[in-house]
Amino acid sequence: MENIDQIDQKELMQALEEKRASRRKAMLLGGAALAGMALTRSAFAQTITDADILNFALNLEFLEAQYYTLATTGTTIDVAAGISTKGGDGSAGGSVTVKANPKVNFTDTFTQDFAMEVAMDEQNHVKFLQTNLSTSAVAMPNIDLMNSFNALAQAAGLGSSFDPFASQTNFLLGAFIFEDVGVTAYQGAAPAISSKTYLDKAVGIHNVEAYHAASIRTRIFQAGTSAMQASQMIAMTRAKLDGSNNDDMGVSVDSSGAATIVDADATARTYARTTSQVLSIVYGGGAAGKGGAFFPNALNGTIK
Amino acid sequence: MKKLDELLERRSVSRRKFLAGIGVSAGVAAAGIAGCSSGNSMTNNMTNNTTNSGGGGGTSSSITDADIFNFALNLEYLEAEFYLRAAYGMGLSSSDIGANPGNVTGGSQVNFQSSAVKAYALEIANDEQAHVQFLRKQLGSAAVDRPAIDFTNAFNAAASAAGIGSTFDPFSSDDNFLLGAFVFEDVGVTAYHGAATLLSSSANLAAAAGILGTEAYHAGEIRTLIAQIGGSVLTAATQIQALRASAGGGAETTLSSTTIVNADSSSISYDRTTDQVLHIVYLSPSAGVVSKGGFFPNGLNGTISATAS
Repeated sequence: MENIDQIDQKELMQALEEKRASRRKAMLLGGAALAGMALTRSAFAQTITDADILNFALNLEFLEAQYYTLATTGTTIDVAAGISTKGGDGSAGGSVTVKANPKVNFTDTFTQDFAMEVAMDEQNHVKFLQTNLSTSAVAMPNIDLMNSFNALAQAAGLGSSFDPFASQTNFLLGAFIFEDVGVTAYQGAAPAISSKTYLDKAVGIHNVEAYHAASIRTRIFQAGTSAMQASQMIAMTRAKLDGSNNDDMGVSVDSSGAATIVDADATARTYARTTSQVLSIVYGGGAAGKGGAFFPNALNGTIK
Repeated sequence: MKKLDELLERRSVSRRKFLAGIGVSAGVAAAGIAGCSSGNSMTNNMTNNTTNSGGGGGTSSSITDADIFNFALNLEYLEAEFYLRAAYGMGLSSSDIGANPGNVTGGSQVNFQSSAVKAYALEIANDEQAHVQFLRKQLGSAAVDRPAIDFTNAFNAAASAAGIGSTFDPFSSDDNFLLGAFVFEDVGVTAYHGAATLLSSSANLAAAAGILGTEAYHAGEIRTLIAQIGGSVLTAATQIQALRASAGGGAETTLSSTTIVNADSSSISYDRTTDQVLHIVYLSPSAGVVSKGGFFPNGLNGTISATAS
């Protein structure tokens, strides 16, 4: 990761050209995503409840809340914000694997303020889901914020290791890994929610994740070429992990001179991912039910 | 309209504490779909998707998914014309506006000083154009034409109402362009959010959710850029927010470097009823029936065009 500039430029530019073309000109990916979602929905209709979907979301919110809280305070959400990691039935919460002293040394307060805002938003999402799930809420699963980033960096060709807590730019790239995925996860799951009330809330959380994603992507744009290139390689890795190879885009300037702050398809609509696609990304390609990467022992709940 | 200071005072408590009061909860989002004189006979497959709006005082309480998509299409016409004119100096092409489109008043290419701001403008212009094209395609023959749109007088009136000044030209500078964009973006998010639960078809919901996602990205981007600039630009943005809150049932978190996201105390984005959105785009903060004004001098096209109250 220290050597972003040493990425194989030719390979990168080639891949980038493909990505740029993918959004502004080609394709049908939106349709494909919709079709995938329809399948998911009918599968859900058989056995999956709203509580299962909200618990799936709760696992992801635990991950995000821990990341931002550790980056801004150096401590986990139970210590920093008094949030229980136990399940609604009293089952014990899992552990968080992270380096010592993860508090980021932010170089400007504008970024630090935002990191703190996002930390609070993700804490609020955890609390909101826990409250609504009540005794059905799952406990926090084991979360890994150290080996996971190293593995992902290797998969993305960014180097043998990556420490998202090492610098402000690294923090933004670490955040980048999660936020767009959160948007696609909520978007994929929303149509399967049967309660209009929960649908409304899920859409509202989806939007907040999109605000986060946009702000982070705008800051990566401003951070310059190296950060943008890293975001492109992460985006390609996410698309590869979810099996589509074509539903993600990093931050760049396309051939028309337009920025790519928004992670969207040719119809300018953000992508949706099935729960299986999301799991594959957060597991770093690990098998369903077994987990890996950010969730070394899988998610808690029915969808894992 | 309430005194600006009074409104800002409420906002400044921040979304972490504020919320009740003029904040509108999700539960009432379904109410207030107004002015639905469902006289159109729509011919495509969206026609049969109807939703009972739960009142609102209109002549009909039944609206279709097509009605909602057409409501959204009107807003996308507005955004597309704004960004395309600012970024490229020309608006939507004749193939994207229907057979009998209304006129567009004002709007010209911004002489961008920052290449980054120009890159942002080009992207959003492309996105909004794509949204118009997508919705028109989904609606087929049921798609409404572009309504008459006014930028010149509307931005002046908005600036005056917000206390920014007697005139405002969003096409005159980078900063003004960002403020012009800010007028629209959070509103689009609240409008789609409010409409999402009204859609009866899950396929249509999925389609709308993708547009909504993109609008939230735009809003997050614009808010980040304005908070970063700070100073008088940020102050003007908060004045615009107070105006929107006054016309549109609250639903605003005062922008600052610590509040980039527009969301409630649970960190969930706001939604607005179609009535509230119409009051904003018609620049008509006072309660009452209103069917045109502001950015849409002849009103929206389609069944959702007048407020119930």
